[in-house]
Amino acid sequence: MRRVVITGIGVICPLGIGTRAFWANLLAGKVAVQRIARFDPSGFPCQIGGEVPAYRIGDYVPKSYRKATKVMARDIELAVVAADDAFKSCGLKSKAYSDTPDIDPMRFGCNIGAGLISAELDELTAAMATARDGDRLDLRQWGSHGMNQLTPLWLLKYLPNMLACHVTIIHELKGPSNTITCADASSHLAIGEAFRTIQRGDADLAICGGAESKLNPMGLMRQTLLGRLTDKHNDAPAEAIRPFDSDAAGTALGEGGGLLILEEHDRAVKRGAKIYAELVGFGASQDAYSVTDPDPTGYSYGKAIAKALTDAGLSADQVDLLVPHGLGIASHDRAELAGLRAVFGDGLAGLPLATVKAQTGALAAGCGVDAAAAVLAIHDGKIPPAVNTRKAIDGMKLNVSPTAREAKVNVSVSSVYSLGGQNAALVFRATDY
Amino acid sequence: MGWITPMGHDIEGVWKRLLAGESGISRTSIFDASTFPTSISAEVKDFRLADHLPDASRHNGVGRNTRFALAACAKAWQMAGLPPLSTRNAQPPSLDLDRVGIYLGSGEGSLDFDAYTTAALGAWIPEKAALDTVKWARIAFQRMNVVREHEQEPNMPLSHIALLTGARGPAFNCLTACAASTQAIGEATQILRRGDADVMIGGGAHSMIHPFGVTGFNRLTALSTANEDPPRASRPFDAQRGGFVLGEGAGMVILETLEHARKRNATILAEIVGYGSTADAFRITDQDPQGLGAINAMKAALADAGLTPADVHYINAHGTGTRENDGNETSAIKAVFGAHARRCPVSSIKSMMGHLIAAAGAVELITCVLAIRDNILPPTINLENADPECDLDYVPNKARPARVDVALSNSFGFGGQNDSIIVRRFA
Repeated sequence: MRRVVITGIGVICPLGIGTRAFWANLLAGKVAVQRIARFDPSGFPCQIGGEVPAYRIGDYVPKSYRKATKVMARDIELAVVAADDAFKSCGLKSKAYSDTPDIDPMRFGCNIGAGLISAELDELTAAMATARDGDRLDLRQWGSHGMNQLTPLWLLKYLPNMLACHVTIIHELKGPSNTITCADASSHLAIGEAFRTIQRGDADLAICGGAESKLNPMGLMRQTLLGRLTDKHNDAPAEAIRPFDSDAAGTALGEGGGLLILEEHDRAVKRGAKIYAELVGFGASQDAYSVTDPDPTGYSYGKAIAKALTDAGLSADQVDLLVPHGLGIASHDRAELAGLRAVFGDGLAGLPLATVKAQTGALAAGCGVDAAAAVLAIHDGKIPPAVNTRKAIDGMKLNVSPTAREAKVNVSVSSVYSLGGQNAALVFRATDY
Repeated sequence: MGWITPMGHDIEGVWKRLLAGESGISRTSIFDASTFPTSISAEVKDFRLADHLPDASRHNGVGRNTRFALAACAKAWQMAGLPPLSTRNAQPPSLDLDRVGIYLGSGEGSLDFDAYTTAALGAWIPEKAALDTVKWARIAFQRMNVVREHEQEPNMPLSHIALLTGARGPAFNCLTACAASTQAIGEATQILRRGDADVMIGGGAHSMIHPFGVTGFNRLTALSTANEDPPRASRPFDAQRGGFVLGEGAGMVILETLEHARKRNATILAEIVGYGSTADAFRITDQDPQGLGAINAMKAALADAGLTPADVHYINAHGTGTRENDGNETSAIKAVFGAHARRCPVSSIKSMMGHLIAAAGAVELITCVLAIRDNILPPTINLENADPECDLDYVPNKARPARVDVALSNSFGFGGQNDSIIVRRFA
């Protein structure tokens, strides 16, 4: 079996644009959750979220590609910016940066997870307003002329596979390509699948992870209806998301993209690439419990982590850091802890936990950011904090710290689950372990 | 295998209609499309979920895509002779559900149209050309329903199939446009080969026959507008082709390691022997005119199967009926198959049941298995006018008996997603 290492990391999230900014702010304990500024959220019970700082998408694509940015939904932009960051960190020149790229397009895969992309309401409603009958859309008027107000490429802004499509075109990647759409589990499933593709020899490199933004009225509405968001922290957003904390009152939205560049080990060594860590294990599983709630026993979630550890040839007590899903929704956190207990047993009390979402907001298909944190912890020898976990839920003992800690991290695990019951876990290991 | 299609809901009945060259295309009835550029589609008709499941109550409020997925899965599960679904909450002694995975290529559920449009228009401020989001939230909270909203998530068909079957193994949904369910079945095969599961439910489900789905494709001018004669509107490889016809439905297959199938004395319908996946990396709107991505996907599938082009007896084309696809696919087939391209029959069942988008590949793979089983090729109907760009043997208009041991199925998605899969008679 071929070995697979991480030689590039790309992040855009509320803590910053670029891996460097993200990592520095994560370690500094900065919380990016604040009152939503992109639209007026006053009509919603939860009015806070983690917004990505302002950027100009044109700065992240080749000049010749700027026109195509007009048909990019925000989710696509986040993937494109994260991909640019990942390529700039990996020491390879793709088509975006050079007329003589040093990669073989056929051997470079792309596996970017995505969410259900919401159409921009202003754009669609402006068109609908030309075919209205009171507050109803008149389908006959819409069919005969209303729809013509939309740009011909309107549909292509919102197809989930357009994240990967734009990235493959910009960087000219022609190998195996896929778009996993399993909500919060998308990024990890995508990374796991790309890992297998390289292991079995169908590609030598892959850019993989995911991106999503639910920070729009429709996304906020759906999450509100599902009862996932806190309505108690509009005045104290920095303390809103409290993973595994006894005061957990719900999560808040974030947005972002997290991508890794995976490379076959020998190839990376031969070119003298900077190797952040090795990807050594992947596990996936499914709850057969409910489409809206996690299985309270955490059975399948634990199985996914256990499978990933078995795949890595490691035991639970060899794990130095866990980046759990940690949404800060009490019933979800309990189910997650039940699954973790099944894997780590009493060792769970001593296992350092880093709760990224307390600082970024819930990243949905963008949870590749969590995976990036798990890789960076190994590379940088630091454990990110758990800023809002003061008193653990149900009197449990957890190894959390409000501030970042220095530590030699040999093995880290990042695990996620989705609303719908998909579970996925990744195991990373230091190359000198 | 199981499918829910515009031409019926059972394997044998639909297969007969395909071989008879019938059409599932008619005037759109799901919504009033009378003034749309395209007012025809291939709808699933006379379908009730309760007819197909032991207990449909766990799936109340699901979208059309999920309903089709559940019914197709129940049929496939039953045909495979797996433990009855009514025992779903008990671990059947003969099946380790932790080793049963799911890999779907399903599309999103349809918008809750009335709630969505009413909230948007009710909160529209024409002077500002913007939405009053406070007012929008107020209306949306009254009008929108949590189940209808949540069921639009593209992982819902997958999640409901887990509830139906109790499957707890590796589970994925991919959404690579029109290539999705071919890709899902190909990736499911890889999971089985690696030993990460014993059984995988593979396939896809989709319905884009709703106002904004048709709007999207009409704006792209991808759809046929031959509204006056619906059965003749979908014309793959014909000189008069003018776009595809939107269909809906689901196709599901039960994939299994040979070892596991033998142990339980399962009837083996066929073997998946090759799979290839590539990206065009060309343009979001157009296929690579050189067809490199398609060529490489077919080549990769052949290499994976350890077969040469001459070993392939039948190609189930992507064959959408758009000007661009059919010409490009033809030249890609020629580039891969060389002299054998002229001898190898190619057909597109989209001529009869329209384009099921994410579900198309699964339905077409099932068609390949049936062609192998019965040694007969389904036709490409409406092939009446020769197009010099499309000069292969497309099995025009009439089914044809032929020896079929190996069939290759192509699926190409918007944005340059190419997948090919090869299925072989099991011996």
